[in-house]
Amino acid sequence: SLQPLRAKPIPKSLRASQRKPREPGVASSLIKKIFSHYAKIKVARDALKIVEKCTERYFKQLSNDLEAYSKHAGRKTVEMADMEVLLRRQGLVTDKMPMHVLIERNLPLEYRKLLIPIAESGNKVIPRK
Amino acid sequence: GGEAGMKRTAPRATLRRIIRKHKPELRLAANADLLVRRGRGGAGAESVHLSFLLFLHRLAEEARTNAFEDKSKIIKPEHTIAAAKVIKHFEYL
Repeated sequence: SLQPLRAKPIPKSLRASQRKPREPGVASSLIKKIFSHYAKIKVARDALKIVEKCTERYFKQLSNDLEAYSKHAGRKTVEMADMEVLLRRQGLVTDKMPMHVLIERNLPLEYRKLLIPIAESGNKVIPRK
Repeated sequence: GGEAGMKRTAPRATLRRIIRKHKPELRLAANADLLVRRGRGGAGAESVHLSFLLFLHRLAEEARTNAFEDKSKIIKPEHTIAAAKVIKHFEYL
Protein backbone atom coordinates (compact mmCIF):
# COMPACT_ATOMS: atom_id res chain seq x y z
CA SER A 1 0.00 0.00 0.00
CA LEU A 2 1.01 3.62 -0.34
CA GLN A 3 2.95 4.99 2.60
CA PRO A 4 4.94 8.18 2.89
CA LEU A 5 8.56 7.45 2.19
CA ARG A 6 10.74 8.29 5.11
CA ALA A 7 14.01 7.17 3.57
CA LYS A 8 17.16 9.05 4.46
CA PRO A 9 18.20 11.39 1.70
CA ILE A 10 20.93 9.82 -0.38
CA PRO A 11 23.96 12.05 -0.89
CA LYS A 12 24.09 13.34 -4.45
CA SER A 13 27.46 11.74 -5.09
CA LEU A 14 26.06 8.26 -4.39
CA ARG A 15 22.80 8.52 -6.27
CA ALA A 16 24.08 7.84 -9.75
CA SER A 17 26.00 4.72 -8.78
CA GLN A 18 22.95 3.18 -7.10
CA ARG A 19 20.94 3.23 -10.28
CA LYS A 20 19.62 -0.23 -11.13
CA PRO A 21 19.26 -1.58 -14.67
CA ARG A 22 16.09 0.17 -15.71
CA GLU A 23 12.67 -1.40 -16.01
CA PRO A 24 10.72 0.31 -18.76
CA GLY A 25 9.08 3.31 -17.19
CA VAL A 26 8.43 6.97 -17.79
CA ALA A 27 11.47 9.00 -16.74
CA SER A 28 11.20 10.46 -13.23
CA SER A 29 12.19 13.83 -14.61
CA LEU A 30 9.24 13.81 -17.02
CA ILE A 31 6.79 12.71 -14.32
CA LYS A 32 8.11 15.48 -12.11
CA LYS A 33 7.78 18.06 -14.86
CA ILE A 34 4.22 17.11 -15.81
CA PHE A 35 2.98 16.69 -12.24
CA SER A 36 4.54 19.95 -11.05
CA HIS A 37 3.08 21.74 -14.02
CA TYR A 38 -0.44 20.63 -13.14
CA ALA A 39 0.07 21.01 -9.38
CA LYS A 40 1.03 24.70 -9.71
CA ILE A 41 2.53 24.67 -6.20
CA LYS A 42 5.75 23.16 -4.85
CA VAL A 43 5.88 19.40 -4.60
CA ALA A 44 8.02 17.66 -1.98
CA ARG A 45 10.49 15.13 -3.33
CA ASP A 46 8.90 12.33 -1.29
CA ALA A 47 5.54 13.23 -2.78
CA LEU A 48 7.01 12.80 -6.27
CA LYS A 49 8.17 9.31 -5.30
CA ILE A 50 4.53 8.50 -4.53
CA VAL A 51 3.50 9.91 -7.91
CA GLU A 52 6.03 7.64 -9.59
CA LYS A 53 4.60 4.64 -7.77
CA CYS A 54 1.09 5.65 -8.80
CA THR A 55 2.27 5.98 -12.40
CA GLU A 56 3.58 2.43 -12.42
CA ARG A 57 0.27 1.12 -11.13
CA TYR A 58 -1.57 3.29 -13.59
CA PHE A 59 0.20 1.75 -16.57
CA LYS A 60 -0.27 -1.75 -15.23
CA GLN A 61 -4.00 -1.22 -14.94
CA LEU A 62 -4.14 0.59 -18.28
CA SER A 63 -2.49 -2.40 -19.98
CA ASN A 64 -4.96 -4.79 -18.36
CA ASP A 65 -7.92 -2.71 -19.42
CA LEU A 66 -6.78 -2.16 -22.99
CA GLU A 67 -6.18 -5.87 -23.35
CA ALA A 68 -9.62 -6.66 -21.98
CA TYR A 69 -11.34 -4.22 -24.35
CA SER A 70 -9.51 -5.31 -27.47
CA LYS A 71 -9.88 -9.00 -26.60
CA HIS A 72 -13.55 -8.47 -26.06
CA ALA A 73 -13.76 -7.08 -29.59
CA GLY A 74 -11.76 -10.05 -30.89
CA ARG A 75 -8.63 -8.03 -31.71
CA LYS A 76 -4.99 -8.09 -30.76
CA THR A 77 -4.44 -4.46 -31.62
CA VAL A 78 -5.63 -1.61 -29.46
CA GLU A 79 -7.84 0.74 -31.43
CA MET A 80 -9.03 4.24 -30.72
CA ALA A 81 -12.41 2.87 -29.72
CA ASP A 82 -10.75 0.94 -26.86
CA MET A 83 -9.00 4.07 -25.74
CA GLU A 84 -12.26 5.97 -25.80
CA VAL A 85 -13.99 3.31 -23.70
CA LEU A 86 -11.14 3.60 -21.23
CA LEU A 87 -11.32 7.38 -20.98
CA ARG A 88 -15.09 7.18 -20.69
CA ARG A 89 -14.83 4.74 -17.82
CA GLN A 90 -12.39 7.08 -16.11
CA GLY A 91 -14.97 9.81 -16.46
CA LEU A 92 -12.69 11.87 -18.70
CA VAL A 93 -14.66 11.50 -21.91
CA THR A 94 -18.30 12.40 -21.39
CA ASP A 95 -21.13 13.64 -23.58
CA LYS A 96 -20.04 17.18 -22.75
CA MET A 97 -16.34 16.42 -23.14
CA PRO A 98 -15.88 14.43 -26.34
CA MET A 99 -12.61 12.71 -27.17
CA HIS A 100 -11.45 15.26 -29.74
CA VAL A 101 -11.86 18.14 -27.29
CA LEU A 102 -9.72 16.29 -24.76
CA ILE A 103 -7.11 15.76 -27.43
CA GLU A 104 -7.21 19.39 -28.56
CA ARG A 105 -6.75 20.65 -25.05
CA ASN A 106 -4.02 18.34 -23.93
CA LEU A 107 -1.80 17.29 -26.77
CA PRO A 108 0.68 19.21 -28.91
CA LEU A 109 -0.32 20.04 -32.46
CA GLU A 110 1.62 17.28 -34.21
CA TYR A 111 -0.25 14.62 -32.24
CA ARG A 112 -3.56 16.37 -32.59
CA LYS A 113 -3.20 16.21 -36.34
CA LEU A 114 -2.73 12.45 -36.11
CA LEU A 115 -5.52 11.76 -33.68
CA ILE A 116 -8.35 14.14 -34.34
CA PRO A 117 -9.66 12.78 -37.65
CA ILE A 118 -9.89 9.41 -35.96
CA ALA A 119 -11.39 10.63 -32.74
CA GLU A 120 -14.04 12.55 -34.64
CA SER A 121 -14.93 9.68 -36.91
CA GLY A 122 -16.10 7.72 -33.89
CA ASN A 123 -18.55 10.42 -32.88
CA LYS A 124 -22.03 10.66 -34.21
CA VAL A 125 -22.14 14.41 -33.96
CA ILE A 126 -19.17 16.38 -35.16
CA PRO A 127 -19.43 20.00 -34.10
CA ARG A 128 -17.83 22.10 -36.82
CA LYS A 129 -16.74 25.63 -36.14
CA GLY B 1 -5.33 25.80 -23.26
CA GLY B 2 -2.90 27.51 -20.96
CA GLU B 3 -0.33 24.80 -21.34
CA ALA B 4 2.33 27.05 -22.78
CA GLY B 5 5.73 26.46 -21.34
CA MET B 6 5.42 22.75 -20.83
CA LYS B 7 6.77 20.53 -23.51
CA ARG B 8 4.29 17.77 -23.98
CA THR B 9 6.16 15.50 -26.31
CA ALA B 10 5.26 11.93 -25.54
CA PRO B 11 7.99 9.40 -24.76
CA ARG B 12 6.38 7.17 -27.35
CA ALA B 13 8.93 4.36 -27.40
CA THR B 14 8.83 4.21 -23.62
CA LEU B 15 5.05 4.02 -23.52
CA ARG B 16 5.11 1.15 -26.00
CA ARG B 17 7.78 -0.60 -23.94
CA ILE B 18 5.76 -0.24 -20.74
CA ILE B 19 2.68 -1.78 -22.33
CA ARG B 20 4.79 -4.54 -23.89
CA LYS B 21 6.21 -5.32 -20.45
CA HIS B 22 2.72 -5.82 -19.01
CA LYS B 23 1.08 -7.31 -22.09
CA PRO B 24 3.60 -8.75 -24.56
CA GLU B 25 0.86 -9.88 -26.96
CA LEU B 26 -0.96 -6.58 -27.14
CA ARG B 27 -0.28 -4.28 -30.10
CA LEU B 28 -0.62 -0.57 -30.35
CA ALA B 29 -1.15 0.67 -33.87
CA ALA B 30 1.72 2.55 -35.47
CA ASN B 31 1.36 6.07 -36.76
CA ALA B 32 1.41 5.01 -40.39
CA ASP B 33 -1.37 2.61 -39.69
CA LEU B 34 -3.18 5.32 -37.84
CA LEU B 35 -3.16 7.58 -40.87
CA VAL B 36 -4.11 4.97 -43.41
CA ARG B 37 -6.98 3.41 -41.54
CA ARG B 38 -8.78 6.57 -40.62
CA GLY B 39 -12.13 4.89 -40.63
CA ARG B 40 -11.37 2.45 -37.86
CA GLY B 41 -8.44 4.14 -36.32
CA GLY B 42 -5.68 2.49 -34.35
CA ALA B 43 -4.73 3.91 -31.00
CA GLY B 44 -1.07 4.81 -30.97
CA ALA B 45 1.21 5.71 -28.10
CA GLU B 46 -0.06 9.31 -28.37
CA SER B 47 -3.42 8.34 -27.01
CA VAL B 48 -1.78 6.40 -24.20
CA HIS B 49 0.17 9.57 -23.49
CA LEU B 50 -3.06 11.54 -23.45
CA SER B 51 -4.61 9.29 -20.82
CA PHE B 52 -1.40 9.44 -18.81
CA LEU B 53 -1.37 13.25 -18.90
CA LEU B 54 -4.98 13.36 -17.78
CA PHE B 55 -4.23 10.92 -14.99
CA LEU B 56 -1.39 13.10 -13.68
CA HIS B 57 -3.58 16.17 -14.11
CA ARG B 58 -6.28 14.68 -11.93
CA LEU B 59 -3.83 13.40 -9.34
CA ALA B 60 -2.09 16.79 -9.15
CA GLU B 61 -5.33 18.75 -8.79
CA GLU B 62 -6.58 16.44 -6.10
CA ALA B 63 -3.24 16.59 -4.24
CA ARG B 64 -3.20 20.38 -4.44
CA THR B 65 -6.71 20.58 -3.02
CA ASN B 66 -5.56 18.40 -0.12
CA ALA B 67 -2.54 20.64 0.47
CA PHE B 68 -4.78 23.74 0.53
CA GLU B 69 -7.17 22.12 2.98
CA ASP B 70 -4.16 21.28 5.10
CA LYS B 71 -3.01 24.93 4.86
CA SER B 72 0.21 23.69 3.33
CA LYS B 73 2.03 25.60 0.60
CA ILE B 74 3.71 22.46 -0.62
CA ILE B 75 2.35 19.10 -1.74
CA LYS B 76 3.48 16.47 0.74
CA PRO B 77 3.41 12.68 0.38
CA GLU B 78 0.24 12.37 2.49
CA HIS B 79 -1.59 14.78 0.16
CA THR B 80 -0.63 12.65 -2.79
CA ILE B 81 -1.61 9.41 -1.08
CA ALA B 82 -5.00 10.82 -0.15
CA ALA B 83 -5.42 12.02 -3.74
CA ALA B 84 -4.57 8.56 -5.06
CA LYS B 85 -7.21 7.07 -2.77
CA VAL B 86 -9.86 9.48 -4.00
CA ILE B 87 -9.36 8.49 -7.61
CA LYS B 88 -9.38 4.85 -6.62
CA HIS B 89 -12.85 4.40 -8.05
CA PHE B 90 -11.29 4.61 -11.49
CA GLU B 91 -9.62 1.34 -10.50
CA TYR B 92 -6.26 2.79 -11.22
CA LEU B 93 -4.74 2.53 -7.77
